[in-house]
Amino acid sequence: MFSLHGYGPSIFEGTILTLEVSLASLFIAMLLGISGALAKLSRARSLRLVSQIYTTIIRGIPDLVLMLLIFFGGQVFINQLGPMLGYDDYIDINPFIAGVSTIGFIFGAYMTETFRGAILAVSKGQLEAGTAYGMSSFMVFRRITLPQMVRHALPGFGNNWLVLVKTTALVSIIGLDDMVRKAGLAAGATRKPFTFYLVVAINYLLITTLSIYILKQLERRYSVGVREF
Amino acid sequence: MEERVVSVTLDDIHKRFDANEVLKGISLSAHQGEVISVLGPSGSGKSTLLRCINLLEIPDSGRLFVSGEEVLLKKTRDKRTVPADMKQVERIRAKLAMVFQQFNLWSHMTILQNVIEAPVHVLKVPRREAIDKARMYLEKVGIPDKLEAYPAHLSGGQQQRAAIARALAVEPEVILFDEPTSALDPELVGEVLQVMRTLAEEGRTMIVVTHEMGFAQEVSSRVIFLDEGLVMEDGDPETIFNNPATDRFSAFIKAMV
Repeated sequence: MFSLHGYGPSIFEGTILTLEVSLASLFIAMLLGISGALAKLSRARSLRLVSQIYTTIIRGIPDLVLMLLIFFGGQVFINQLGPMLGYDDYIDINPFIAGVSTIGFIFGAYMTETFRGAILAVSKGQLEAGTAYGMSSFMVFRRITLPQMVRHALPGFGNNWLVLVKTTALVSIIGLDDMVRKAGLAAGATRKPFTFYLVVAINYLLITTLSIYILKQLERRYSVGVREF
Repeated sequence: MEERVVSVTLDDIHKRFDANEVLKGISLSAHQGEVISVLGPSGSGKSTLLRCINLLEIPDSGRLFVSGEEVLLKKTRDKRTVPADMKQVERIRAKLAMVFQQFNLWSHMTILQNVIEAPVHVLKVPRREAIDKARMYLEKVGIPDKLEAYPAHLSGGQQQRAAIARALAVEPEVILFDEPTSALDPELVGEVLQVMRTLAEEGRTMIVVTHEMGFAQEVSSRVIFLDEGLVMEDGDPETIFNNPATDRFSAFIKAMV
């Protein structure tokens, strides 16, 4: 039987932080994803171009490099901007905000593609029926596209979420006390790295397994009337 | 002859898709209580004509009146024609129910939800009242027991009848039917035609794009034959089926029978 040498509560705190970072990032990623998808499908060329540049850049650069770029680059940028606006103290970026916005920004690009595909999968006749009965285009989106795209989006969304949860491990490098960093500290102090990283691995696995279960339930719910399980 | 109220008027409607001019100047009026069958070979512009009436397609030129109100169109800078007032278009569409070839019932909603959707969310009818009416219309089309079923669980004929109930539920000025039986298995065509026949006998105004010669001949009060984007024949079924004015129509009838 292995012992956590009193580091149990600390690892637990880290796990909570990991969950907080994950959920906050997911929220941002979903907002960016739906906006990005609508922009990509928009009739306005400028919106299509902006969203295309966004997804091309984000999906083409490693998450780790992006995170370092945004964290350190953002730090430099803000501290050059500060004095111009008459603010002279050194500004430290809150690592939680930096981590969440970076991960949200990265996964917004993946969500954009997932949501775009899901919107395209809704058949044209379904939307046309809404239009024909006097719905505005916003109402067609809210009453028909949105509920129908969920079913198509869920598998890709689930994948993105699982990868996102694992990507939060990177926030430890910018100084956020997530469970990976807590485990690293404990491993250093007790010289038992295997024990602590094993605990972290199991924690991730618990989170992702639970997620997979919840996603299955959601898929079932949003397939009502369309496909039997 | 008594004065009849005009429901829809098209005046010199043109519509092209790129190089292909589909409607080359269509003028016609549909009066209240008329059941108009629109016949024609494929590619003659029948469906486009129907879709121009509720503005799923925007005519390039010409004028369109629905229950006395002219639909306001304008030209964009790149010479496309677009509605001048989307609110007006939405209001007019809500007066014109459409029944589609592929039914197009909303697949994530039950039959009841499909039928009350437009009344509740577009026309702002109180939900209770909409549900009561939906029950009545579903009974009328012969599927009162399918309220809670999803479209995918119904046969094609039942889905199309549900779609007709959805159309009736908005209490439309005119019901537009776009080849309502073309996607059905032959043995299911009869049940849908029977419902349409009942509606015709109630005096509802209907414009029906169809290939069902029997329906055109027996049920409709007026038949229009469209070919190459023009109205070639327009008259009561007895007259035009017995004495086609054009060779095209006599050839068409021969080919269909």
